Amino acid sequence: MKNLLKSAALAAALLGAVASAPVHAQDGAKKDFKITLVPGLTTDAFYITMNRGAQAAAKALGITVDFQGAEEFDPVLQTPVLDAVIARGPDAILIAPTDATQMIEPLRRANEAGIPVVTVDTFIDDGKYQDGSGDGDFPVSSISSDNVLGGRMAARAMAEDMGGKGKVYISNVRPGISTTDQREEGFKAEMTGKFPDIEVLDTQYNENDASLAASQFQAVLARNPDIAGVFGANLFSAIGAGNGVAGANKSEDVTVIAFDAPPSIVDNIKSGVVDAAIAQHPAEIGYYGVMTAYAVLTGQSVPTTIGTGFTVIDADNVDDEAIAKFIYSE
Amino acid sequence: MKSLLNAWSWLFLVLILGFFEIYARMETGQTFLFRIYNIQSISVAASQILLLSLGLTLVVVAGHIDLSIAFSTGLAAVVMALVIRIIGPESGWLVVILAMGAGLLSAVLVGLVNGWLVAQLNVPSFIGTLGTFGIARGVALIVAGGATVSIRSEEARSFGNGEILGIPVPVLLALVLAAACHFLLTYTKFGVHTYALGANRASVERAGVDVKKHLVMLFVISAITAGIGGLVYTGRFSAGAANAGEPILLYAVAAVFIGGASLTGGQGTVIGTVIGAFIIAVIQFGLVFSGLPPYWQFVAVGLVIIVAVLVDQSRDKLTGKLS
Repeated sequence: MKNLLKSAALAAALLGAVASAPVHAQDGAKKDFKITLVPGLTTDAFYITMNRGAQAAAKALGITVDFQGAEEFDPVLQTPVLDAVIARGPDAILIAPTDATQMIEPLRRANEAGIPVVTVDTFIDDGKYQDGSGDGDFPVSSISSDNVLGGRMAARAMAEDMGGKGKVYISNVRPGISTTDQREEGFKAEMTGKFPDIEVLDTQYNENDASLAASQFQAVLARNPDIAGVFGANLFSAIGAGNGVAGANKSEDVTVIAFDAPPSIVDNIKSGVVDAAIAQHPAEIGYYGVMTAYAVLTGQSVPTTIGTGFTVIDADNVDDEAIAKFIYSE
Repeated sequence: MKSLLNAWSWLFLVLILGFFEIYARMETGQTFLFRIYNIQSISVAASQILLLSLGLTLVVVAGHIDLSIAFSTGLAAVVMALVIRIIGPESGWLVVILAMGAGLLSAVLVGLVNGWLVAQLNVPSFIGTLGTFGIARGVALIVAGGATVSIRSEEARSFGNGEILGIPVPVLLALVLAAACHFLLTYTKFGVHTYALGANRASVERAGVDVKKHLVMLFVISAITAGIGGLVYTGRFSAGAANAGEPILLYAVAAVFIGGASLTGGQGTVIGTVIGAFIIAVIQFGLVFSGLPPYWQFVAVGLVIIVAVLVDQSRDKLTGKLS
């Protein structure tokens, strides 16, 4: 009871001493803007490379970009980080939302605090902002790879390698992630539309667990001995599926297409675990993310979507100088 | 002895608050603690952890563990969102309340299965609830069709994001439940039996208490608080996700042990768990607010868990000496 009283007293003291809510003073003439980049997770080569691009832009503009995120790609963990970032009162927030619907509410708080939000890589709601529709219409811009296109490119690379016929499936993380959902969508659309002799089996979800992705491949193989291709919709899905393929001694018969190109992809392509990788350009996303935020802060109008490119990396070009810059850094 | 331990966790909380206040003032010239926004954000994060760890505290005091809470949370979140989606949000609060009832009911089912496994079939709670962890997760994913169930209900939104007298609804809810659990554990026969169960099951049986029934009730309570965590989740994020509780399971378990509970049972308080949850939430928020590199979060979480275990060990030594 005594403790309860103490806690009540403390709470009262805290509330009594509270000053006003954070309102960030916006100074029109100010040039040393502070922008925070909140990645999907902090330990991924993709986001680290994005941060590199963001820092390059920050240096060019003479502003500061902070990098703050959670240890896992999850809205429950990203939200407290975002709350604390908002409390710091940056001039703008660049964020890779970890869920298209669930991050709408937490990001609304940034919007209500008057902080412009730019989504990078992933997006909220339908990814189309400032068009007057949807709950998550408030971000100023979405900068990302066109993941549907990336999925289509993966399908083309796979179909070419397979000679245009056979059974394939998609190894994906889990439903609800805008980027990986779109890759799957693009992959399926391209296969159905352009390659009618390729059959796309049910998607296998691996929760970003490579070992699960590997055993899933072996299960799919057991059921479909003639399986001829796997599209790994993200790094772990691809590496896992690729290891499953190698473990089953099927590297010759099964085409593995990966999405994303961290440094390890080079080894995986050279060793044949992965046949080709669709590399995004995360540094480009970070660079244009910062540029967009800066444009908004200095009163310029900005495009509501900016699409960045892809590069297909395979055994033939993996050693090229010109290709090397698209491999993510760590 | 108990008050001394609570004093330790209080002190630890005050120390980290002081550290972040000083650090924030030096680094950014802003106050850390004396801002409504910060207190609200920290409290909401702590509440989400707390809702998983409140019932768990009772289970741990009785000498058991409940790992299934992560997915009792997810199941309740998904069921609530689905009911709202199926009936349609037009019916306002009626459908939201109905949906909450359904969500809570689904969580209670998990609790009943846990209780049945542990009490009736004598399955060790660690194994049994690990099993129901998987089952509840699977069921939640099946019910949700593998996807996040998003909803558009202004009422559900205000339940998760609203404020009453400046206190966010999830915080209010967590505090009321904490008070109820505290009362139950401290001032009732049920609480006395729970402590006794953790200390010495045989003596409780000899005293004529229906241990099986008691255990089932404990697991149901644990599932209920976790389930309410799921309802809050659906409200906060306007979506039910099967893995709603998974990433904070570790924090929820840590909060209970930081709060003074012991792996061997018979110890722990609800107030301790509340402090434990706040310690974790303050560290999470404070590290980001202070602008420290994000990788410190790993170090901090690891440290907190080690501190919890050390406190647990030193307590056992102390009690050994004192008794």
